[in-house]
Amino acid sequence: MIEISHLAKKFTVENPKKLSEQEKKDPRLKGRFFHSVENVSFHCASGEVLGLLGPNGAGKTTTLRMLSTALTPDSGDITIDGTNVVKTPVVARKMIGFLSGSTGLYGRLTGRENIAYFGQLHGMTAEQIDSKITELADVLDLHSFLDRKCDNFSTGMKQKTAIARAVVHDPKVVILDEPTTGLDIMAAQTVLDFIKRLKEKGIPVIFSTHHLDEVSELCDRVTVIHHGKTHFSDTFESFKAQSDGSLHKAFMRIIEQGGE
Amino acid sequence: MWKVMLKEIKELLRDRKTLFFMIALPILVFPLLIGMVVFFGGKAVDKAENKVLDYAVIGAQYAPALAKELAASDMFNEVAIDADTDITAFVKAQHADFVLVIPSNFSDDALANGQVKLKLYLNDAGLNMVRKRLDKIVDRFSEESQTKAFETLGLNEQQQVALIEPIVIEKVDVADKRENWGEKIGGMIPYFIFMLCLQGAMIPATDLGAGEKERGTLETLLISPIERHHLVLGKFFTIAFAGVTSALITVSSMAVWGLVLSQGMALKVVAEFMSAIGAIDFILMFLMLVPVVAIFSAVLLSLSIYARSFKEAQGYMTPLVFAVIVPVILAMLPGVELKGGWAWVPLTNVALAIKELIKGTMDYFQLVAIFSSTAIIAAGLLYFCVYWFNKEKVLFR
Repeated sequence: MIEISHLAKKFTVENPKKLSEQEKKDPRLKGRFFHSVENVSFHCASGEVLGLLGPNGAGKTTTLRMLSTALTPDSGDITIDGTNVVKTPVVARKMIGFLSGSTGLYGRLTGRENIAYFGQLHGMTAEQIDSKITELADVLDLHSFLDRKCDNFSTGMKQKTAIARAVVHDPKVVILDEPTTGLDIMAAQTVLDFIKRLKEKGIPVIFSTHHLDEVSELCDRVTVIHHGKTHFSDTFESFKAQSDGSLHKAFMRIIEQGGE
Repeated sequence: MWKVMLKEIKELLRDRKTLFFMIALPILVFPLLIGMVVFFGGKAVDKAENKVLDYAVIGAQYAPALAKELAASDMFNEVAIDADTDITAFVKAQHADFVLVIPSNFSDDALANGQVKLKLYLNDAGLNMVRKRLDKIVDRFSEESQTKAFETLGLNEQQQVALIEPIVIEKVDVADKRENWGEKIGGMIPYFIFMLCLQGAMIPATDLGAGEKERGTLETLLISPIERHHLVLGKFFTIAFAGVTSALITVSSMAVWGLVLSQGMALKVVAEFMSAIGAIDFILMFLMLVPVVAIFSAVLLSLSIYARSFKEAQGYMTPLVFAVIVPVILAMLPGVELKGGWAWVPLTNVALAIKELIKGTMDYFQLVAIFSSTAIIAAGLLYFCVYWFNKEKVLFR
């Protein structure tokens, strides 16, 4: 179970002149600070998949980065099974598996070495790492390229390896930032299948996306963020009921209802 | 921390580009280039030495003996010239390598006819042997004239010597051979070592900071359950290791190739010079380089992690080379010595100390100041590096 309540994060604007017209009109720009996330709350229980939706620049990535402990929130709380992520980030990191959309691999290391390195950083023993890699290689079908250098991997191979790396330490919650963006259909399907598998194992998954078909395929819960605030956070059925069956219309309606 | 370092080194060793710059370049390419310069330089000198020079003489009738000598030499080949030819144009058109104009007052009686001024027209821009060969012949006539004049004046040998050079300064150098050589090359050596350490550290530093950002691996690394300062130290030690290794490889490669290439005399001089510097001096030099490399590594890593890309990182690092040159140049300036305030100036003090150690005139008491100031600055920069690695606006620019 992961609970996020009233998260907020602001960034200092170094050079206001460099902001785009759209950014200047954004209500979150207040003086020298840009309040990227102002008030975001949602929760995701075991075995649930939560889809995080919102227009570009809504604050999805900032929110997920706070969940992954890469960024520290200015206020608000994140707890995973009772562990406070904000106060004890190093402890929490062992519970989180995070995959960002722009993630990369160490090109001069093999797939196996990439995964093993993060296993080592998570304090796993060599035997633990070995058996886990074998298990993941079976599930994700990595065997054919596991011992080749990542430099020559296709996008799909990279994504599969990155997934294995993100979950090598058996995390209690998995967070994915636009995991299918930029992938071809087959690679995207790998990611979706992987999320399904996690769901079957009872691991809560939070992922951001722009693809509503992915939401309808996987999600139990939907959270919509707009201008750094939660505008909707409920079950998928409730989200669908916002309009007469069209997910796009439901999304648009929530954004419009939110005002601004 | 060691896990991070081991992985970084493993990755570093698999990078052909880095290996090329760190190992192949100093071991093979530099000596090859220097060897090529020596080879072609030697060949050019050889060619110039063996070339028969075309020449013309105007006014040969005033000095038939000299003209005869020139004609007799197998290193010269006479070409004809008219007395009213434009000599400059003649030489420029490469009709002859040089033209010698003999004045009408040419004689062997210096007392009666005064100084004789021979005019030599040549293109002196390139390497040539004109003066060397001509002097050999003309000097003999000059000496003859001189001797004859001294005889006419009835001067004894002592008076002759005094007249040629009335006052001479005799130099008694109390510096031994090592100090002498140390002063000459001791300033250059720290410059080379510093630059090599910096260059060797630069490529891995770019890769370990900006490279992680560009490849998208940084975020994943930051959220692994490892304390941030362990992460920084792992990267820091990798960069420092690369810097020291690169410098060691280059210096030993230079030493080995120097020994291989130098023969006879040169070898003896080098061997003598090297054996004069004790093992302790070498160890001290190395120990002093440790905090220097630490300073470089911390600065490079800070710059690298701030940069968004390889390109940006390289842009930030290039000015650093100039920043390092300044304190080393300071150490080469006359009057800047390893005492008082200078012993506390970072980099300059180490450069001065290396020079002193090579010269063998080291005041070992100054080591306190050198180590303290360099180590304090290195520690400060390393602390800053850790702080820098915790700043969100640096990591997520």
